[in-house]
Amino acid sequence: MEAAISTKNVEISYDSRPVVSGVSFEIMPGSITMIIGPNGSGKTTLLKALAGLLPFSGEINLFGKRQPGAPARLGYVPQRFSFDRSIPITVQEFLSLSSPRCFTDQCIHQKLYQDVGVAKIFTKPVSDLSGGQLQRVLIARALLEEPQILLLDEPASGIDIEGQNAIHKVLRDITREKKTTVVMISHEFNIVNHLADQVLCLNRELVCQGRPAEALTPEVIKKLYGEHRTIYAHPHD
Amino acid sequence: MIENILEAFTQPFMQRALITGLFIGVLLAALGVFVLIKKMAFFGDGVAHASLAGIAIGLLAGIEPLYIAIIYAVAIALAMYWLEKRSRLSSDAVIGIFFTASLALGVLLLSFQQSYQPDLISFLFGNILSVTTTEAIMIVLISLAALISLVLLWRRLSLLVFDNVQAQLQGFKVQALSIFLYVVMAIAIVLGVKLIGVILVSALLIIPPATSKLWARSFRGLIRGSIILVLVIVFFGLLISYGLDLPSGAVIVLVGFLIFIFTLLFKSFLKTQN
Repeated sequence: MEAAISTKNVEISYDSRPVVSGVSFEIMPGSITMIIGPNGSGKTTLLKALAGLLPFSGEINLFGKRQPGAPARLGYVPQRFSFDRSIPITVQEFLSLSSPRCFTDQCIHQKLYQDVGVAKIFTKPVSDLSGGQLQRVLIARALLEEPQILLLDEPASGIDIEGQNAIHKVLRDITREKKTTVVMISHEFNIVNHLADQVLCLNRELVCQGRPAEALTPEVIKKLYGEHRTIYAHPHD
Repeated sequence: MIENILEAFTQPFMQRALITGLFIGVLLAALGVFVLIKKMAFFGDGVAHASLAGIAIGLLAGIEPLYIAIIYAVAIALAMYWLEKRSRLSSDAVIGIFFTASLALGVLLLSFQQSYQPDLISFLFGNILSVTTTEAIMIVLISLAALISLVLLWRRLSLLVFDNVQAQLQGFKVQALSIFLYVVMAIAIVLGVKLIGVILVSALLIIPPATSKLWARSFRGLIRGSIILVLVIVFFGLLISYGLDLPSGAVIVLVGFLIFIFTLLFKSFLKTQN
């Protein structure tokens, strides 16, 4: 089976300073891959390069086609979405900018909005939304055009537990039903263990890759986050 | 009263002024929505001031100044865009450099003309009542073409100014769209110079959307409000300037300012009542 994403020796630099180097991996279609690593390890940079938003050296292929310019449908949820919240625009209008099929109240994406939890806030101005609600809107927007690859940068930050669970369920459903490939940055090992088919450990270079249970060894954790760090199991989860 | 109003608009020069004023006003107010979102107000001001050099070149060369000013302003807008992308200078620094240099060039070139001061005053503060039929037709046609292209590209341009990254991911040609926006803005501003002058033109770019923003609860409301406001501002501005024999550009801007202040105070009053 052809990989949804394959990278070979990817190197990304800011002002000639390498931020990510020598990264090679493969991600299969319909899987959930999580990228973990400490702050400043290059996770967001790598995700942006996969989306074709940053220049890089090496090779990134989406379904066998070279990035930038690969024709795959991409959805992207940024870590922070900064825009002037005082500009009057409703959630419906905001979403319809990305999907013209959503200009009327009879929006074809109603089920998606129910699932992600934006149906109730559809007519609200974006300025009235909480951080968590805005995050849900961004996730809904990324899913509007049924992406083949969905890239999420800590999508659940600022969302309550119930909301996080709902979003994780949506992610599981779309990978199963629509074979969407999900790549997601997360800091929560709990979520990585529950949700991910594959984990990529990044600390400027790839420290580990594989199934979470096998890849996340105490040695890898120490390599990522330094000595005296380990994972504690939470039996109640 | 109504008879006086009707009488004012039986005059051909007032009809020309009203029609050109409304077309330019709607174009500037629509572009103003993007200016508001992208925080580009200084760009409008900069291009308007820079266009004085184009006007001066046209006057010295004996070519219609408006044509040369449009070409000059588009070139300056593109230069600003290019420098913003290619240098580490902030956009306000780039605009400041081009606008002051072009303004200085304009004043210098105009000084080569005998009795240049009346020309300078006319372009600094505009004179919509002196618009000829040929100028009016040209302004209306260019405005109409710009408005149609804005309507056709509205969703793409809106996404561009709201979220550049999403626009890139959707495969929009972000650079081409940005350049289109800069070029249309430069053209609209120069056409507005004829209406209310180099110094005041950016008021029509800023005041209608800023006032509309005080009330609007949706993006559609912001656009509609902005366009309705500019129609009111231009109509009453012209009427008052005719009735009281005052400079039209200044009156149009002051009518806009008064509506803005009244809206602001009324909104604050309603807030205290709630």
